[in-house]
Amino acid sequence: MTDLATPVDGGSAADDHNQHQDSHDDHAPTSLGLSNSKLAMWLFLGSECLLFGALISTYLLSKARFIAELTAGNPNVIEGLMPAEEVEALGDGVRGSFETLPEIFNEMAMEGSVEPIFDIPFTSFSSFVLLMSSLCMVLAHKATEERDYKNQRVWLATTALLGSVFIGGQIYEFTAFYREGLTFGGSLFGSAFFTLTGFHGVHVTGGILMLVSLLVLSFRGKLKSDRSETVELVGLYWHFVDIIWVLIFTIVYLIP
Amino acid sequence: MTDTTIDTEVAHDDQADHGDHPTEKQYWVIFAVLAVLTAVEVAWSYLGLSGPALVLPLIAMMVVKFILVAGIFMHLKFDLSIRNGGVFSYVFAFGLVLAILVYAVLLVTVVWPIG
Repeated sequence: MTDLATPVDGGSAADDHNQHQDSHDDHAPTSLGLSNSKLAMWLFLGSECLLFGALISTYLLSKARFIAELTAGNPNVIEGLMPAEEVEALGDGVRGSFETLPEIFNEMAMEGSVEPIFDIPFTSFSSFVLLMSSLCMVLAHKATEERDYKNQRVWLATTALLGSVFIGGQIYEFTAFYREGLTFGGSLFGSAFFTLTGFHGVHVTGGILMLVSLLVLSFRGKLKSDRSETVELVGLYWHFVDIIWVLIFTIVYLIP
Repeated sequence: MTDTTIDTEVAHDDQADHGDHPTEKQYWVIFAVLAVLTAVEVAWSYLGLSGPALVLPLIAMMVVKFILVAGIFMHLKFDLSIRNGGVFSYVFAFGLVLAILVYAVLLVTVVWPIG
């Protein structure tokens, strides 16, 4: 992996360029002719596909089971999604007459028994924030390669800030769901939903920590252009987290 | 050189070094496309459609967004043309395709009896 601890002094433009050029000359002095760090990151991201594939599959499976039981009129399925008194108030006519989860919640909302569980406008804003952070990340990498260290810090800080806004939104959303009665242990659907979105949130949090580490290195003068691959590796991870949210947003929030 | 100074000559050499990588303006354009696609996705979900008319366009837009982020922001589009023979693309694609195949089979196998 790239050694983050090795200091690189500021030096002149020529020195900086020479260091940068050297890093390209010995960019991949490996048996494969590739950067080991970058190859390791891509292998890691490939394995992450399997992790999130499992989580998304589990969510879809639990939702299918949930809908099957709900359309069969099992009132226990609704318990865990809303307060018990609201479940009792629904009556038998509501349960078992709808085919999809949004239909259930929308019908309940129309009857005034419960608000729709997913706040699509709010989640759309979170998606926009994460997409914006991906743009900032790629601009941070570009600024590093161009030795524009002021913009490097601005974009890294903005990326971390936008990631924090996303996490704040997720905490708010989880709290709202909990108050609506959707809990981790309340139903199979709740467990799968919180596991999937929670794992993604943990990944975003990890990315924020990496970004803050890069910022600290930058302020200490240890993130010059010859270390641009370090920024690129964190960028790859960050973009992957963004990609996973693109999938989650469509599959979990938009598709019934 | 101070931190904020950019040596244009050096920057030019560097750009040549990185071949076809997008410019800053192109990154902004890609972001705008992603934002518009997200807005269209949300609007589509509010049209009151159901079944394939709702799901297929949403899946298509999701795939386009996936390809744009992986191809442009993660530079996979340029991976084949630079110096590593597209190894990174293949490594990522292997994990992705394997995940899709394994879990598609799992879902079909397990969900089928429920339906």
